[in-house]
Amino acid sequence: MNKNRAAGLLFLIVGIYGSVLSLQLPLGNWREPGPGMLPLGLSILLSVSGLLWLIIGKEKKGEKRKEEKAAWHGVTQKLTTPLKILGVTLAFILVIERLGYLLTSSLYLFLLFFWISRYRWWLAIGLSLLISVGSWYFFGRILSVRLPQGFLL
Amino acid sequence: MDVLNNLLSGFQTALSFKNVYLCFIGCVWGTMVGVLPGVGPLAGITLLIPVTFGLDPTGAIIMLAGIYYGAMYGGSTTSILMNIPGESASVVTCIDGYQLTLKGRGGAALFISAWGSWVGGTLSVIGLMLLTPFLANFATKFGPPEMFAILLIAFILLGSLGSGSFFKTMPMVLLGFLISTVGMDPLTGTLRFTHGIKELYDGIDFIPVAMGAFGIAEILITTEESLVRIIHKVKFRELLPTREELRASWAPIFRGSGIGFIIGLLPGSAHVLASFISYISEKRLGKRSEEFGTGRIEGVAGPETANNAASGSAMIPFLGLGIPTGPAPAVMMIALMIHGVRPGPLFISEQPHIFWGLVASMYIGNVILVILNLPLVSLFISLLRIPFRILFPLILLICLVGTYSVNASLFELFVLLGFGVFGYVFRKLEFDIAPFILAMIIGPMIEMAFRQSLMRSGGSFSIFWGSPISLVLILFSCLLFLWNIYRGLRPHKASWEKALEEGK
Repeated sequence: MNKNRAAGLLFLIVGIYGSVLSLQLPLGNWREPGPGMLPLGLSILLSVSGLLWLIIGKEKKGEKRKEEKAAWHGVTQKLTTPLKILGVTLAFILVIERLGYLLTSSLYLFLLFFWISRYRWWLAIGLSLLISVGSWYFFGRILSVRLPQGFLL
Repeated sequence: MDVLNNLLSGFQTALSFKNVYLCFIGCVWGTMVGVLPGVGPLAGITLLIPVTFGLDPTGAIIMLAGIYYGAMYGGSTTSILMNIPGESASVVTCIDGYQLTLKGRGGAALFISAWGSWVGGTLSVIGLMLLTPFLANFATKFGPPEMFAILLIAFILLGSLGSGSFFKTMPMVLLGFLISTVGMDPLTGTLRFTHGIKELYDGIDFIPVAMGAFGIAEILITTEESLVRIIHKVKFRELLPTREELRASWAPIFRGSGIGFIIGLLPGSAHVLASFISYISEKRLGKRSEEFGTGRIEGVAGPETANNAASGSAMIPFLGLGIPTGPAPAVMMIALMIHGVRPGPLFISEQPHIFWGLVASMYIGNVILVILNLPLVSLFISLLRIPFRILFPLILLICLVGTYSVNASLFELFVLLGFGVFGYVFRKLEFDIAPFILAMIIGPMIEMAFRQSLMRSGGSFSIFWGSPISLVLILFSCLLFLWNIYRGLRPHKASWEKALEEGK
């Protein structure tokens, strides 16, 4: 499946999902349009767009097809770092209110510096402590941003 | 006389120590985000929104606007010296700017770029100052049908200017519009697509969506591959252009100002389009057009002026009509709304000190930027020596704290991450994100205008062509729609359409 068809499929799925949910809302009439009327119209148009991309987004011939295949071939290797970042960020969000900003941001930055940026452990610890304490002081003290305190503070 | 009196009072506001300081901070931060590839004006503005919480609305918008036009100045530096566009509007500057650097004329290119940016920026502020009150006054006569008609044009323009392909941009616009309907219906109070999640009752907030789809997605894309950067050093005395270079750049600078100002009024990727059209015009009008691409100063002067002029005129629809034409003006609008100020037709009459203070600060900011961007160019370039593997965790942390600080909501951090994945996936699929974001802002306005019009007319669609203004606007939007269908179906693309795609 090429990129256009993959996008077409996504549009179609969201469009059908939106249509089903919109039909459960009051549609009203032209005199008094209900809350479901516009979302239904938009979902139908989105489904049609998705269907069009699925149909017309044909495989390309020759060189471009090869390039596209090459792009898909390396996709798992390319995805490793973004997936690691997403995983660490998800963990940050899940624990920040329990552990508080200082501890969570220190652990988060340490994982990014050590695991993804490949710094030595002592440098990763130093950088993460420096940045998390600095950002806590800047945001929390100077800018008075409400940061989660957790059980430590 | 009214304009001069208002401008004078604007200068009184803008020249207070606090506002000059905020303008300076905005310009410095804007130049920095413009210099750093991967951190555009949108992320730059969003990250500083929490900083504005302790400020009054005038100070807040002065600082955020400074970031916006400052980023346009900074973007040219990396294009000229490193062949890396700091932001998408500076892609065209790479063509001749980098060639000039290779010839040892990089300093002169930076000077001409800063000078052109100053002229373009200042002329567009004059246009902003004269046109916005007129437009706002005109828009007070608009009822829901006229508003619907004007928003419909914006909606179709979003589809046509997003990435050059109407059929590729339109689904993104529809998707953004659909997501904007999540939450409580403002007319009936019915909950739409909330799935019982309390945090969705007020809809999906724009800031985590924009930060995720642009900021987080950009990091995810960039970390796929490492960047190798070669930095050319520039000495202060090399900044002075020759008499011939100065003479050659005058006309492109003035043409670029006009082109940028007009194109900046359109929604979508106006900066990219403005700089490209300016480049094409210079190439066609130039005496030795075959030399373009080998290091012609006109190829830097025109586009850099145009993208700065576009940044000034892009503020006109947002301040005068309450319709943002790009993601960065949309974030500025949200920031003003956080402070209880709503841009729109009544904005200038209700909050004249904010509008005129902003206009005056833009004159001051353009001067600050010329001073910052010429003697201190080496300082900004040294930012690029910070390794990306230190920079990206920092940017991620700022995105997270920036989002959390707005409403102290954990749910919005999930939205940020979710839309980070969304932005990453659609960038990989080569679909443009900016129209999606703008549709999220324009969507609720267009729905409200549509439903109010029909309720007023008792269900008759004739209300949309009942007044001469709405009739003209509806006819124009129909023509625009048909032209886009034709443009999407024809086999060969125009050069500006290709440029928009490459700009992404």
